[in-house]
Amino acid sequence: MAKPKVSSDWMAGCSGCHMSFLDIDERIATVLDLIDLRSSPITDLKHPDESGVDVGILEGGINNTSNEEVAHRMRQRSKILVALGDCAVFGGVPAMRNFFTIEESLRRAYIETESTDSSGKIPDDPELCVPTRVRALQEVVPVDVFVPGCPPDADTIFFALSELAQGRIPVLKDKNLSWQ
Amino acid sequence: MTKLTINNKPVDVAEGTTVLNAARSAGIEIPTLCEHPHLTPYGGCRLCLVDVEGARTLQPSCTLPVTEGMVVKTDTDKVLAARKFVLTLIFSERNHFCPFCQVSGGDCELQNAAYREGMTHWPLQPNWQPFPVDASHPYIVMENNRCILCRRCVRACGELVGNFTLGFEERGARSLLVADLGVPLGSSSCISCGSCVQVCPTGALIDRWSAYRGKETQVEKTQSVCTGCSIGCGIDVLVRDNNLVRIEGNWDAELNEGVLCKIGRFEPLAEDRNRLLTPQVRKDGKLKAATWEEAFEMIQSKFSPLVGKKGDGVAALVSSGLPLESLNAFKKLYSDYFQSGMVTTTEEGEYTAAASAFARSTGKSFEGSLADVQKADLAIVFGVDLVKEHEVIGFFIKRNIPNGTKLVVVDPATNTLDLLADVTLKSGKSVEANLVHGITAAVISAGAAKNTDIRVSEAHLKTAILESGVSNNELSKVVDLIKSADNCILVYGKGISDEALKQIVHLAEVTQAKVIGTRGGANSLAASQLGLDSRIKLNGHQAVFAAFGNEDPSQYLIQQLEKAPFLVVQAAYGSALTARADVVLPSFTCLEQDGTFVNFEGKIQQSKKSMTAPEGTKSDHEILTSLAGLFGQKLDTDWKKSITANPAPVTIQG
Repeated sequence: MAKPKVSSDWMAGCSGCHMSFLDIDERIATVLDLIDLRSSPITDLKHPDESGVDVGILEGGINNTSNEEVAHRMRQRSKILVALGDCAVFGGVPAMRNFFTIEESLRRAYIETESTDSSGKIPDDPELCVPTRVRALQEVVPVDVFVPGCPPDADTIFFALSELAQGRIPVLKDKNLSWQ
Repeated sequence: MTKLTINNKPVDVAEGTTVLNAARSAGIEIPTLCEHPHLTPYGGCRLCLVDVEGARTLQPSCTLPVTEGMVVKTDTDKVLAARKFVLTLIFSERNHFCPFCQVSGGDCELQNAAYREGMTHWPLQPNWQPFPVDASHPYIVMENNRCILCRRCVRACGELVGNFTLGFEERGARSLLVADLGVPLGSSSCISCGSCVQVCPTGALIDRWSAYRGKETQVEKTQSVCTGCSIGCGIDVLVRDNNLVRIEGNWDAELNEGVLCKIGRFEPLAEDRNRLLTPQVRKDGKLKAATWEEAFEMIQSKFSPLVGKKGDGVAALVSSGLPLESLNAFKKLYSDYFQSGMVTTTEEGEYTAAASAFARSTGKSFEGSLADVQKADLAIVFGVDLVKEHEVIGFFIKRNIPNGTKLVVVDPATNTLDLLADVTLKSGKSVEANLVHGITAAVISAGAAKNTDIRVSEAHLKTAILESGVSNNELSKVVDLIKSADNCILVYGKGISDEALKQIVHLAEVTQAKVIGTRGGANSLAASQLGLDSRIKLNGHQAVFAAFGNEDPSQYLIQQLEKAPFLVVQAAYGSALTARADVVLPSFTCLEQDGTFVNFEGKIQQSKKSMTAPEGTKSDHEILTSLAGLFGQKLDTDWKKSITANPAPVTIQG
């Protein structure tokens, strides 16, 4: 059997889930033996193969049109889509801004911050992506596997990846679901 | 008994048992959220749905009574799917995304329920409606965004505490937990007992002192007894790395069944007095840190000439909140060895002197227990505000009022219970013996006496009623209540006169009621049995030794003791008196030492050490035995003999 092709990317998150992935330490060698890592934000290639991959992993929620594009691209190109971490699964910390309107959030960020002087301005370049309500990945595209956690424990990520690498859908329970 | 089968297992339970409890008795677990063993079933969350053969839909097991031959399944695909769906709906209703929370990580029942069902995500997203957060209360934060509308808090507030502060406004998804009629919790009728916090299954009601200080798995739990007052409620003390995290009511405690008041639950956490960490000795007019040896030497040199002086030697005061072992040592040292005529507690027998005098004169016990309060259908309260002190006794009366318990308040001062009382009798300056006698006379003359052996002349009754100081109309209302009551209790507290107590006991005999004396501090009864219950008179004494434990000395005590020629203070915390003292001895707090306590109903209980005291301090008992050692004395430790030597107002046991 050929090694399953895996791609990952991140959206509205803190990259902590990818850091937690690196926390699997030397087991990364085992994982890389089992999978063919095609692209990720922490390797040279950033985009999944146009011809498609077996597993696509996304970290972060979706809070603008650029994230939407990333999510759709990953969904189109992967057979199994994994939502990695609380932001991708639930919306996470960025989703707290859903309690406010986008205008309020932008004003707070670009005009009302304590370090901003009178020249503060909300960016309006037409080339920029447009902020939206923060959504979990499953609100934008169908998701096959959910790996919650803020961030998910390295052991949990290793378990999920090794299951996927061996052609199984990981079932998270007990310690992999709630670690204390 | 009713027979049914649950998951093909035959179960035999008493009629009227709920399916949930029947399943539990058979060792079958059904997840629940709104259900709580100490509250009336409510059936609000629907997590406990089960499949009952023949029923049209799934049924909530917490409210469904068993019937003969019922066939119940708790683990079918339909039930499991319903559980996940119920949790999905609860999660999607408000913001339950809690990366870190006081209750998150083992203590959040909502989170645990989802883990139990193996949920990795919410199929439905929250609607992101912000709800108000109320942080106006000194001890409690009300976070409506975390609320799952289970109404456990509302039920606890009403059913356990009888306070009825919490309620809901609006309907459906907009339902909002509010205090009173929507006022901030901090300015509501809340009495800060914290029962709502203890029952909340999520983080909707959190204790602002303990929130975020440690999860369930990171704390050590010690089962102990509250030493805040004479009731002696069962508590669980939660400590992390020797820091007090939280105090919870012990649900299994026979006395309080999980309920606590502000004094037991929150005040030890909010402690902001200066902890005394080293002995201090006054040298050249200034109080300076010293070693224990220096402090003891100073005491020895001052106290040695005072041994055997009854009226002008050492006056000794002790807090009634100290463990019995220490009280006993205190009494042995100062009464027996120093032979001081002034050895008493800081509460000066105000709660106990009349009762112990009465018990000694009659030679027998005459008072009831907290169990009598629980089942009372009429409570007559004499001069004690049970909302402000001995609150748990008050809870037990208040919570039965909706079930028909009547309340009569006899208190010339304004009493918070007045608002709930069916009749209030106000006359004179304190609880007057005449008034109590008047009630008794009115009961007898109305033919309502349950004890028919009592013979009194008509004329005597008439005079007694006339001299009662309240109107005939009011008296007859009380008589009517007594007539229709089966379990009457007469509760008295501080400052009752010998004569008034005699009349209360007489009233109890006539009506076959139970007398309940609240008493004062945690070891009030024991102190009184040791004879430590006289009024403070310091004139002529050349030195004063005061052991306060946790107690904060009152203004009155400060005024009394300030003038002492030589003052030794043994205390855990600094006060105006430690600043004035000539020698300061730092002691343990109640949480830092084991100790025996005798509660108001005579039950002997053990308080357990739950924290380690800071270095340089000593336990009360150790200080007192060391002091005795200075004078070559070895103190007799048989406290049981000492407290049972004289007849007590209640039977001491346990």
